[in-house]
Amino acid sequence: MTGADFSGVDIDLLADYIGGALEGTPDESVVAARIADDPRWHAAYETLGGRMAMVGAELGRLAPEPMPADLAARLDDAFSAPPRLELVHDAAPVSRRRQRRWVTPIAIAAGVVAFVGFGLDYLAGRTDSNDQGTSSAAGVAEQSTAAPQILSTGTDYTRSTLTAEPVQPLTAATTPDEPLSAQKNGDRSAATLPELSRLMPPEALQECLDAIQQENAGGPLSVESVDYARFDGAPAVIVRFTAANGLWAWASGPACGTLAGDADTLAKLPVR
Amino acid sequence: MTSGDGASDADLLRAHVEGDKQAFGELVRRHRDRLWAVALRTIGDREEAADAVQDALLSAHRNAARFRGDSAVTTWLHRIVVNACLDRIRRRQAHPTVPMPDGSRSDDRPSGVEPAAPVQDHETALLVREALAALPVDQRAAIVLVDVQGYPVAEAAEILGVAVGTIKSRCARGRAKMALALGDVVQPAAQPARGDVAHPTPGNQEASTSVPSGPAADRRDQR
Repeated sequence: MTGADFSGVDIDLLADYIGGALEGTPDESVVAARIADDPRWHAAYETLGGRMAMVGAELGRLAPEPMPADLAARLDDAFSAPPRLELVHDAAPVSRRRQRRWVTPIAIAAGVVAFVGFGLDYLAGRTDSNDQGTSSAAGVAEQSTAAPQILSTGTDYTRSTLTAEPVQPLTAATTPDEPLSAQKNGDRSAATLPELSRLMPPEALQECLDAIQQENAGGPLSVESVDYARFDGAPAVIVRFTAANGLWAWASGPACGTLAGDADTLAKLPVR
Repeated sequence: MTSGDGASDADLLRAHVEGDKQAFGELVRRHRDRLWAVALRTIGDREEAADAVQDALLSAHRNAARFRGDSAVTTWLHRIVVNACLDRIRRRQAHPTVPMPDGSRSDDRPSGVEPAAPVQDHETALLVREALAALPVDQRAAIVLVDVQGYPVAEAAEILGVAVGTIKSRCARGRAKMALALGDVVQPAAQPARGDVAHPTPGNQEASTSVPSGPAADRRDQR
């Protein structure tokens, strides 16, 4: 403490006076009169005024503190547009069917790349099996383990089941010898979850994933699965992904990816 | 594309609302150091400050379309960040954590993990930071904006959503409390005239003026 005797003095009122907060108010002249007439107020004014000025000066001398690099990087990740994916056709096909692959100008999670490639094929009904006219269970299994799943289970998830891995009902599963056509896929989706039809086109789904990535603020997503389903009875896409902050199960509503809706998050839970 | 160097803050925010995916990131890059400094000094804990800044900027990102242009974009961003900090402090006060055996946390007092000051000022700066951290949160927030970051009183009032007189009072009362707490650590060089304490040298000399934006903190950040 200062050792100064401020007894009998209203320190807050005196501080207001010194700081100019009483200018133009009736209290201004009241305090001025006390300082002039009361030795205790006068002494307090003399002491406190100078020390308040020095405190202000010391506060102004506190070293500037730039944002830590790791936080700045996280924000850059969160608010930078994820790199756009573009379709590239190989100049020289290596087989009868055209090879297609998705490339991105900078490295992002391989899962996302694989997901979009697979997802577009899936939505467009152009599976490898369709292109080739033949397929094998081993081939499908290999692809499904290498690429994220796009499902439309219609499952009604709750907070207690959100972290469970999605299971595609047998009735909705695509069989190797019955490739899913775009029209058929659209019909099925619209029939079961019309509220989510906006999110069926890959561009809209990508926007949704972008929004989730931004809200998650854990860097690029490596998506395991996207399930067109429900959460607590409401239409929702259930996305399981890994990011720098762990494995998550995320439920987003139909407005996911729109500017107004952002990720339209209904629930998000870490998968443990 | 509006995200170039020549775009104003308002241009960037408008571009973001219209779908430019780079614009908001550019806006954040422009102001992140000042936003961080305000959050850190207000909340006093690096992890909490980081969470508050992140939450606030995500909220700003989501709600950019609601920005009506009544204030400068930086003022709006600062308001969101400061409110996020105050919310966290108040939540902490409402649900105080159980103090650890080492006494590392209680109510709204910062956890004392602020950065080190330059060597020659270390002790004084440490005491000043501690005294600042001990202030009631409303006084602390006002002082951080005006005295530490150098914002004009009018802009601080806009950021905190209170009258100019309220900011002057919070700053003055906070400085008085700190002066009493610091005692002989700070020694006046000369007796100031009334009101001069609001404009200490080399502190915020524009405290009683209002500028649209471009805070005096720019000067301070470049020190």
